[in-house]
Amino acid sequence: MTVIDLIRPGPARAAGAATPPRQRRGRTAMVRIGGGLVVLVPIVALSTFITFGLGALSNSDPAATILGQDAATPAAVAHLNRVLGVDHPLVVQYWHWLTQAAQGNLGRSWFTQIPVAQSISQRLPVDLSIAILAVILAIVIGGTAGAVAAIRRGGWFDRGVTMACSVLSTLPAFVIGIILVVLFAVTVHLLPANGYVGPTTSILQWLKYIILPSLALSLQVSADIARQLRTSLVEVLDRNYIVGAKVRGLPYRRIMIRHALRNAAGPALTILGNDFPQMLAGAVAAEAVFSLPGLGQLLLESAETRDMPVVQGVLLVISTFVIVVNLLVNTTLNWLYRTSDGLGA
Amino acid sequence: MSSSNGRRPGTRGPGARPQSIWRLPSVWIAIAVLTAVAFLAVFGSALAPQNPLAINANALYQGPSAHHLFGTDYLGRDVLSRMMAGTRLSVLTALEAVGIGLVLGALPGIATAFLGRWFDFIANRVADALMTLPYIFFAVAVTAALGNTLTHAMIPVGILLAPLFFRVTRAATLEHARSQYVEAAELLGASKVHVIRVHVLRKVLPNIAVTTASMAAAALLAVSFLTFLGIGVQPPAPTWGGILSSDLDYLSQAPWAPFIPGAIIAITVGALNALADAFRDRSSAGALVLVDPVTQHVRRTDPRNLEPVDGDRQSQSVA
Amino acid sequence: MVIDNRNLLPDITDPGAVAGVRPGSRQVGGEVLSIDDLHVSVHDGAAMAVRGVSLSIRPGEIVGLVGESGSGKTLTCRAALGVLPRGCAVERGTVSFAGHDVTALSRRGWERVHGSKMGAVFQDPASYLTPTITVGHQLAEVLRVKLGLGRRAAHQRAIELFGAVGLRQPELVFHQIPAELSGGMLQRVMIATAISCDPQLLVADEPTTALDVTIQAEVIELLLQLRDQRGLAVLFVSHDLAVITELCDRVVVFYAGEVVETGPTEEIIERPRHPYTQALLRVASVGDFRRRELEVIAGQPPQVGAAIDGCRFAARCPLAIPACGSGSVTQVMVGFHHRVRCIRARDADTVSALAAR
Repeated sequence: MTVIDLIRPGPARAAGAATPPRQRRGRTAMVRIGGGLVVLVPIVALSTFITFGLGALSNSDPAATILGQDAATPAAVAHLNRVLGVDHPLVVQYWHWLTQAAQGNLGRSWFTQIPVAQSISQRLPVDLSIAILAVILAIVIGGTAGAVAAIRRGGWFDRGVTMACSVLSTLPAFVIGIILVVLFAVTVHLLPANGYVGPTTSILQWLKYIILPSLALSLQVSADIARQLRTSLVEVLDRNYIVGAKVRGLPYRRIMIRHALRNAAGPALTILGNDFPQMLAGAVAAEAVFSLPGLGQLLLESAETRDMPVVQGVLLVISTFVIVVNLLVNTTLNWLYRTSDGLGA
Repeated sequence: MSSSNGRRPGTRGPGARPQSIWRLPSVWIAIAVLTAVAFLAVFGSALAPQNPLAINANALYQGPSAHHLFGTDYLGRDVLSRMMAGTRLSVLTALEAVGIGLVLGALPGIATAFLGRWFDFIANRVADALMTLPYIFFAVAVTAALGNTLTHAMIPVGILLAPLFFRVTRAATLEHARSQYVEAAELLGASKVHVIRVHVLRKVLPNIAVTTASMAAAALLAVSFLTFLGIGVQPPAPTWGGILSSDLDYLSQAPWAPFIPGAIIAITVGALNALADAFRDRSSAGALVLVDPVTQHVRRTDPRNLEPVDGDRQSQSVA
Repeated sequence: MVIDNRNLLPDITDPGAVAGVRPGSRQVGGEVLSIDDLHVSVHDGAAMAVRGVSLSIRPGEIVGLVGESGSGKTLTCRAALGVLPRGCAVERGTVSFAGHDVTALSRRGWERVHGSKMGAVFQDPASYLTPTITVGHQLAEVLRVKLGLGRRAAHQRAIELFGAVGLRQPELVFHQIPAELSGGMLQRVMIATAISCDPQLLVADEPTTALDVTIQAEVIELLLQLRDQRGLAVLFVSHDLAVITELCDRVVVFYAGEVVETGPTEEIIERPRHPYTQALLRVASVGDFRRRELEVIAGQPPQVGAAIDGCRFAARCPLAIPACGSGSVTQVMVGFHHRVRCIRARDADTVSALAAR
């Protein structure tokens, strides 16, 4: 609709009115998601290739290791190699491995013969528990801190938050974890310092064991979210449309949430997406500090014994997971904030 | 290029830019800290007051005292000496990672301005992909494949630092490669290489320096984390992360213990970040990358967008 | 341009309607807005940008504030609305709305006044609407929150209001976000939203400045209709004297933070008594002051908040005498409700000098 439409009303023009807005916006979103998918394929290919390549680079001789020194006669070794499939050319091995992985078969541990997929699926819930709770905590803590800091900008809370964020950003996750253990487990025997209980056994116990690790994991992301939200919200609160909402007589709470936060939250949520790799690394840290039976520990143990199938399996699962989550997060954020305020995102 | 802070004309922001970075106390403190660390990296073992490996069963987990400034660990060894001796390994391997990242990242970053759209597109996609991957898993996997040493472990760290170098140098190069004096030079017949070397590099180097400082901070944290997990550590050789790890095991006996290595790590990392901040504000290149604690999570809103995310960072670099 | 007038009137059978002023009637007594000796400082108290401004608006009256940028008219209007920008504060004086002192009104207090008693439209309507919510929902939100209408009823009423202010295809406009609409349409949206709860006063800060002349004319017509049918009082700020003279019943002329002349529009146009108003009229080619050649007012207005002894216009005034340079200048009556801040306003020579130009 333009000025022309107003001056010269015409039935033809009215009929050819703009396409309904929702349809128009949907198309752009599709283009973006499509673009993301196209990029996904080469990335996955690259990381699987690297993962497999590591196995190839490894100069450890699986047959000798499995059979043990005594039984490692050339004939036995050759036979085992044939069984394991390592006598084929590398490319064939890669393809074989990849197709098998796609079907869920990640091979077996060289030492325990336990299917890798099984070991991984046993450990995955632990990491997922911590990660999901950590994300929730990060949003709640970071969001609240950032929002309050912005609303009472310049006050003591604001300055406190800024300082806390600075400190938190120089502390690695494992150090934060240790500090939390010292504070809550050792000095005050409030929460356990290590161990894990699944949610199926007892929800309350499960929470008790994962609250500290999740907190350790979430604090840094919280700091970043708080910082970003504060900046965005301060900018939004100075914008004219907040004045506009105010003179329309809308209540303060409503303006804050529906008009201000809604627009300021975008960049902060993007941080969540960007910080995801960091959270995974933090999960490994949390596992180490709190002795949790997760994927990180699995990786460390198998790396020690150079049990390549397990190492490769974990690596593959992790990288696929990261890439998929990243894609999902970016797509969701793009879609949610397709009509953004243009706040740097 | 940079976003406004929404400040009204006539109002002052939280911390006006200082005249010169050399006036900032934080810069001087940072330089002092880093000089001390560098010094220890070279001479640490020699200067340690006691033998970092000397076990003393009579003095287990003692608090700080005149004899042992940082106390003793679970085997009665002097913590101060161990920290000093462990500095070299941490610093050297961190530098290794930064070096790899610099070479793998900065070179394509500069080159991409001159090598056409396809190269740029592919390089950007690869950088995007690499930035999403967490280094820790790859570091562990590499040690499984090649052997459990820190040198091996830091290779993937370096590779995963490269995309950030790439982004920064690319942004800076693009900004300057298109400026008029470069065009003029090319018109006058200078070859592309010459143009790069003489004109562009001079402007891009400050950005590279800033990023190097930030990346060094990240690499140092990575080393600490890896040694904490036991990667690349050959006991009884001391490492900052290793000390932290053993402290964790005996936490109930000595809850104060982990604060010492933790503080040392934090101070060093903080010094590097402060330096990077100060130089970034000064050059105001807009090419900020402030890197994380444990992995290369970067403080920015959009991976494609290198705008400083936090307009209030200025207030933090004014000590 | 056909405006569907029916929907401008609140439906008396609609339980959600606000009991408002009967169309065409004027309330006897109480002024809608009364500003008395207002002083507003800016830059955290560093400069006084509004100095001793007094004005009042009666029900159903359209009062125009005119002046250059920085003359204090916008700040005055913001103070009346209770939305002064950061760093600005009312230092002295009072603002009263419908008999109640609102100078230091609390946030809750203002929530009750805004929307239902006082509405506002601004110069750049796109920036005053939330960019991520459709305009229809923004209006419906006001209706639901302030009038208690249900979702469906609010949706319906919003579309009616959009139609009433002259938007074509209001059902489609409802679902557009601000970025998808033109300036003229957005201004209508803002007006619709501002009057949706039938306020007594509409504060309009340069609503037509950024619009095409044709749209400008339509908006002016719309405002006049609103006044005629609802008894809406309007505080209309503009730097365009032509628009002011077309729309307003009374004019308040601002210069350098002060009111220099105020009176009924016809009076001001035919018998301006302040040299500044004179010059403005000449520049705007309004009334008898046809432009014979390109006219500008020589010199610059003083810096915002500058402390000046005597008349603040003296430096640029063709009629200035030494006495103008010292002492404060108070306003004098020169006609029916016509006040001027000039010591020479009543001089016989001044009057004839002005007439001769």
